[in-house]
Amino acid sequence: MKNRFRSTLALAAAAAVALAGCSDPGAGDSDAGPADWPAQDADLSGTTLTIWAAQNSNTVPDSVIAGFEELTGAEVEVVTIPDPYEQGVQTKVATGDKPDLAFWQPTASQLTALNASQNLQSLEGAPWLDSYDPALRDITGILDDTRYAALITTPAVEGVYYNKEVFAANGVTDLPTDWDSFIQLARDLKAEGTTPFYEMGADRWATQWWVQVQLADAAEDGLWDRVNAGEEAFTDPTIQGAIDTYKALIDEGLFNEDIKTATFEDQGAALLDGDAAMVMQVNSFFGQLQSLADTEELNQKIGFFPISPSGNTGTFIPDQSNALVAFKTGDADRESASRQLLSYWLGDGYGDFVNAQSTVSLQPGVETPADVPEALLSASESVGDAAGSMQALAIANPDLYLYLADMIQGTKTPTEVAEATQAQFAELAKAQGAEGF
Amino acid sequence: MSSNALGVPRSRHRDHPLWFLIPALAVLVVFFFVPTLFNFVYAFTDWSSFKSAINFAGTDNFTSLFSNGTLLNSLKVTLVYAVLVALFQNLFGLGLALLLERDTAVNRAVRVAFFIPVVMSALAVGYIFQALLKPDGALNGILGWLTGTEVAIPWLGSTTWTIVVVAIVHAWKWMGLSMLIYLAGLKTINEDVLEAARLDGASRWTMFRAIRFPLLAPAVTFNVATALLGSMNGFDIVQATTEGGPGGTTELLNIFIFRTFGQGLFAQATTMSLVLFLMVAILAFPVIRYLRKREDVL
Repeated sequence: MKNRFRSTLALAAAAAVALAGCSDPGAGDSDAGPADWPAQDADLSGTTLTIWAAQNSNTVPDSVIAGFEELTGAEVEVVTIPDPYEQGVQTKVATGDKPDLAFWQPTASQLTALNASQNLQSLEGAPWLDSYDPALRDITGILDDTRYAALITTPAVEGVYYNKEVFAANGVTDLPTDWDSFIQLARDLKAEGTTPFYEMGADRWATQWWVQVQLADAAEDGLWDRVNAGEEAFTDPTIQGAIDTYKALIDEGLFNEDIKTATFEDQGAALLDGDAAMVMQVNSFFGQLQSLADTEELNQKIGFFPISPSGNTGTFIPDQSNALVAFKTGDADRESASRQLLSYWLGDGYGDFVNAQSTVSLQPGVETPADVPEALLSASESVGDAAGSMQALAIANPDLYLYLADMIQGTKTPTEVAEATQAQFAELAKAQGAEGF
Repeated sequence: MSSNALGVPRSRHRDHPLWFLIPALAVLVVFFFVPTLFNFVYAFTDWSSFKSAINFAGTDNFTSLFSNGTLLNSLKVTLVYAVLVALFQNLFGLGLALLLERDTAVNRAVRVAFFIPVVMSALAVGYIFQALLKPDGALNGILGWLTGTEVAIPWLGSTTWTIVVVAIVHAWKWMGLSMLIYLAGLKTINEDVLEAARLDGASRWTMFRAIRFPLLAPAVTFNVATALLGSMNGFDIVQATTEGGPGGTTELLNIFIFRTFGQGLFAQATTMSLVLFLMVAILAFPVIRYLRKREDVL
């Protein structure tokens, strides 16, 4: 009896181990044959495509889907993946669950995180590439010389949103032209009794913009290539210096007094009400302002200028709502239909899309609608010659923002911030098999 | 099975052939043993979202994790949090049980009210408290109304005290369960013993200290062990209230694991959950042993 029980147990265990196997269920096949590009209006009756989107991007494709379904007879379904979106998608893909298309941050680090060469279709030779503004065509979406992401809206830019009325009340007529004049302006405003900068220490994620804009010149000079190769570290003078400067500006009292507890919502309200003169932010901050005021009020009150150590170069950071990737699903018809949808989105459907979204057009042939606020136009104008952010150019995206928020709370020194970021970067780079780690 | 099986009629064996166990065993193996086993296996590999091959990596993950201060900090935070939760949850639970001990209609209704948080979603509890404890939240509003001044205390913004506040929220959610178990424990105390003590002229406090609390030992064992070891696996309430902030002072190990997993470092996250598993196991034995020893008075 005992023996029979034992053998049963052994059998069951062996079966279970064999069942589970020791392989990555997310592993896909890697044939990268040249893709053909079907005509935008080819018949797709009976084909259903799935698009994964985040909570803040799930209505973005509405106008495109309506047009595409009518034109081709395909059915397109948008599935919302709950926040945190990137982690949710990565986990699903790692366990073998893939959509046909997904919104995705088109940066090198995020394409690597999806294991692009295994999981994503190459978009080389796409028919829409020539319609892009030449300055934007190759700005992002490319990993190891292969294009994997289709940019649909202008990537976000890190820069300074300012309150025009506060500037006017303090007699500021000329915008800063480099870092020194920018800091001088802040000191002058403080002397007048105005809070120059507003930071959201409690919600944490915007803290990294202050460090990244200071690195714009170095980024143009190949900083992130050196970091990627392990030749330069976050603890070396360039990046450490930017962290130190940020800390010094906080200690100098140039930021809001409640920097430790202030949130993203507080930041928007403070700039709009003129409680602070300037905010270092990205485009999603403007979305927050749009939820608080209409275009007319925003045009009257809010302006934008990019800043870098030596001038007015912005730092671009595409996010998930800016681009789409097409997955290798193993079903050739659906893969081709995905490419067709992208062709339509950036082809005949683009005019409708730009109008429905009231967003800046990436294609000279499609006009930007008149109701796009001025600050957003200024931000998108700076994209063409902007420097790449850490997210855009580094192979991994460490939690720099988190460590900087710790620094604001007083639990990390600037040196510890750089050390923690470097340690995490090295860990991620090593996992990717990057050379030099 | 061999010796006392003789006393059992043979037919009962025939009713239950051992292979009847296979369906249940299969479920247990697939959903419990194999995942636990793989938790050990993957900790020694380089599994990540960046490549499809999974290679054996030896103790690489362990050395890099322990040389990195974040893991040790998270372990410390987790321990402090668990001890605080165990303390508060049992204080609140015992206090409520003593207050609501008598079976009156009012007490029954109040017991139900205190049990409601136990069945609520922990994330919902977290988000409600996050809203209450904001600098411009309801708690400061009430305090401001009572004192007649503007109150803007950032309850979740202190690098020293926030962990205490979050532990209290966790204890608040689960105190109804502790209350219920203490109530059951109080009910088992023999009325004769209490009556004898009363006749001897013992005060209420003496009776509690010398008789009732020692006789509650089994309930204390269960409550302290479940609160302590359960809150080591805490995640939801802290994630909803502070996300590990401010300044990483409430970053429980599970939040760190979540963050690491989200970075695509699956093997490292597995290693951490193995470390957590070992820590819970190492802590569980002495704690439960000590608490069981207290029960010897019974």
